[in-house]
Amino acid sequence: MNTKAKAKTGSQIKVITGNAAAAIGAKLARPDVVAAYPITPQTEIIEQISKFHANGEMDCELITVEGENSAMNAVMAASLAGGRVFTASSSWGLVFMYDAILATAGARAPVVMVNVNRETPGIIAVSCGQQDMISTRDAGWIFLIAETCQEVLDIVVQAYRLAEDYDIQVPVMVHYDGFYLSYLSEVVDVPLQEDVDKFLSVLKDQPERTKLVPGGRLGCGTHGILGGYLELRHKHMSAMERSKAKFEEIDKEFEAIFGRSHGGQIEKYRMDDADVVLVGSGSMCGTIKAVIDEKRDSGVKVGLLKIRMYRPFPSEVMVEVLKGKKAIGVVDRSLCFGFKGGPMYTELKAFETQLGGSKMISFIDGIANTDITQANVEQMIDTTCDLAAGKDVREVTWVSYPEANEPDSEKPDSEKRGGL
Amino acid sequence: MSEVRFHGRGGQGVVTTSKILANAFARTGRFGASFPMFGFERRGAPVTAFGRFSDKPVREKTQIYNPDIIVVLDPTQRNSEAVFQGLLPDGMMLLNDSDITINVSHENLKKLGIINANKIAMEEIGLSIPNTVIVGAFAKMSGLLEIEPCCDALQDYFSGKKLDANIVCAKRGFEEIKLFDL
Amino acid sequence: MTEKKQGKLTKVLDYLKHEDPFSKGVAFCPGCGLELLLRFIPQVLGNDIVITGTPSCSAPVLLGQNNQSWHTLSYFGTLMTGAAANATGLARYYRKAGIKNTVVCFNGDGTAADIGFGNLSGAAERNEPFIYICYDNEGYMNTGIQKSGTTPYGASTTTTPLGSASKGKNLRRMNLALKMAMHKIPYAATATLSDMGDLAKKLLKAKEAKERGFAFLHVFAPCTTGWGYAPENTIEVCRRAVKTNYFPLWEAVNGKIRMTKTVKKPKPVSTYTKLIKKFAHLNEADLQILQDDIDYEYCMLGGLSALEGECQLPVSSED
Repeated sequence: MNTKAKAKTGSQIKVITGNAAAAIGAKLARPDVVAAYPITPQTEIIEQISKFHANGEMDCELITVEGENSAMNAVMAASLAGGRVFTASSSWGLVFMYDAILATAGARAPVVMVNVNRETPGIIAVSCGQQDMISTRDAGWIFLIAETCQEVLDIVVQAYRLAEDYDIQVPVMVHYDGFYLSYLSEVVDVPLQEDVDKFLSVLKDQPERTKLVPGGRLGCGTHGILGGYLELRHKHMSAMERSKAKFEEIDKEFEAIFGRSHGGQIEKYRMDDADVVLVGSGSMCGTIKAVIDEKRDSGVKVGLLKIRMYRPFPSEVMVEVLKGKKAIGVVDRSLCFGFKGGPMYTELKAFETQLGGSKMISFIDGIANTDITQANVEQMIDTTCDLAAGKDVREVTWVSYPEANEPDSEKPDSEKRGGL
Repeated sequence: MSEVRFHGRGGQGVVTTSKILANAFARTGRFGASFPMFGFERRGAPVTAFGRFSDKPVREKTQIYNPDIIVVLDPTQRNSEAVFQGLLPDGMMLLNDSDITINVSHENLKKLGIINANKIAMEEIGLSIPNTVIVGAFAKMSGLLEIEPCCDALQDYFSGKKLDANIVCAKRGFEEIKLFDL
Repeated sequence: MTEKKQGKLTKVLDYLKHEDPFSKGVAFCPGCGLELLLRFIPQVLGNDIVITGTPSCSAPVLLGQNNQSWHTLSYFGTLMTGAAANATGLARYYRKAGIKNTVVCFNGDGTAADIGFGNLSGAAERNEPFIYICYDNEGYMNTGIQKSGTTPYGASTTTTPLGSASKGKNLRRMNLALKMAMHKIPYAATATLSDMGDLAKKLLKAKEAKERGFAFLHVFAPCTTGWGYAPENTIEVCRRAVKTNYFPLWEAVNGKIRMTKTVKKPKPVSTYTKLIKKFAHLNEADLQILQDDIDYEYCMLGGLSALEGECQLPVSSED
């Protein structure tokens, strides 16, 4: 990590929000069609893009749709017609797109969108949480998660390389935390247009993807039944698997041009000699890294595995990195209904036998906009160390809601009151 | 790393103050990060923002519970508990107030800067939006910044005559702040 | 695609300048108005249209399944919720890429008037450059005859069935075409299958108008199976719908509303309803409610069309 805010030759150092970084990333990718609809905490992205468009800095068709469902439908169709597209949403907006999100994946339309993570249980849940991401997890999109404003910008640009790659052709959703990252202003190295053009030009050298054009005697969007459907679904699954190695490749090419790497499917922080590990994603990872440094100073061998690619689930690299660690604490900023642990914990648990005896626990924190503080991270590290030391530790801890960790927390209210 | 908490009201430019300061730090090759406490946006509602300024990249993405410095744009909040909450020993406070006398106190408060930013803003930009005056005053009080990068940073937020007027605001904030050691 | 005929347009067949892109023996129900309409559109507009359609009666034929279809048009199977938004995306990308195009967003009344009305209205408000055609068979025929927003008063459907407490739909239909005209779009019109020359002219006008923005065509397309009339009566049902003013033919060019066919002595609605089983249970009093609704709509339309000349949207110089 460079320790001076220094721009690469020609690029510009700016202090901008995560949302502005997403908008600039989209602008640099030169999309043909952008659909825009407001929702907190995403609105700033489409405002910025509208401004770029109004100033003539962005030569795209800007569709100011009447709702998110239309945003996704419009960009899906434009993408299938051959265009490069962008849209952004959050929370209720994302789930209002849901049918079109499924159709976009089914049609293998290489859409790139940003979802700014926000809760969904009630309309006033204007708060950070990854539950919206979990709600759309099984749609067949590639999911990438950013930690910093710089990573937001870079990952949006990289997403086009992944989505539009001839051998992938799967839509990509870039996620980052609402409020904690969407409204955070920090130092971002804004790359030169010509460098981004060069980075994306690889796509032009590939075979042209199938496009829906007038007179083209070609149709799309119609999975049928039986055989054809099975073929299309299996191809989709295979493309998802291929996207893992492709994302690693893209990260390396990105580094060669822009001089920075964020890691591929995962980022490893002080992992090599770590005995205990926290697994996390998104903006919490910055705080976790800072706390790890302090813990390391006092001799605790702790590291971080940051999930950058969440769909497909990077199980192979995770197993490789986590194998043999004494204890693993997985931090989820969302819930997995029907399971006690968080979604990422539950998924990693499926690979427990391959981890060679590493013990695992689940932490739920940061939902409902609760702050994943340094103190919370410290508590999570300490608990994971206790687990490594063979102490009796709860399988699931709600870090910011200690009541959940009480022995009778799962009893119905009627029983706690002493009967109905 | 300096951790700064900003208190004010919607319409005073509280969030912009912390953004401009982060921007000024970046212009000196250092790092700054700023973000607002979240709530429904409304003119006049209490607003809190956070700023971290450092020689190294700022990684923490949390609210600030133990600030080194507190900046109060809204004088009615100057003695509120929320403002002083968690202030570290040897803490500093920058206060926007028309009353340039020491009328705040806290055990950890060692340095106090007072500036009549509303008055300066009225004179220079014709609006009682104190934020750019506060930027200059902050640079002086904290000793973390020269005035030049602050003025340069303003280019990212204003243009034309507004930029010129706000540069004057920042400079006057830098020059006219009254500092008290407590 | 080859151009078949040249010369003056006097008969309906003269408008069919392009090949029929559908295979022979397409499998709609015998007497289906939808099939006639579907075959007609590309023969008038050209085989280079890009057609979009939703799950509906038209879906298996229009959209095919997997890698099969019954025609050679470019087509896009859309969701009912977002049909107009899909067409928007296509038309906007073609415009950006400089690809000459005629996108035809072809949907039933369930999509146009109900579940997809929001995005239809949005696309019209944004004056998106494509043609939207609603084929109106007054309900969800493909799923088994359910009520929609254009189902008329008194009609029996499987969600407004007859019963001791029900005489069919107890609500009036909405006037979708007038609603669309109120979006101040370059072109809005109604048409039906008994007046194919009128339909052909309106298709061509819509194609011309979409160069300036949104064009909307509301085509009355009865359903022999869902409504309960003899398959050979499809055209007669359309004819009587026009002659009773149940479905008047009009157009709005740049907001100027004009009747394209005036019925001198409109017949009572019973001459129309008596052909159709879904109305068979209605007594005189029920029919009067339906008649009053028709009269109300026609009166309003009459008032609007009487404004001809004094009520028109400004047209930009390039039009």
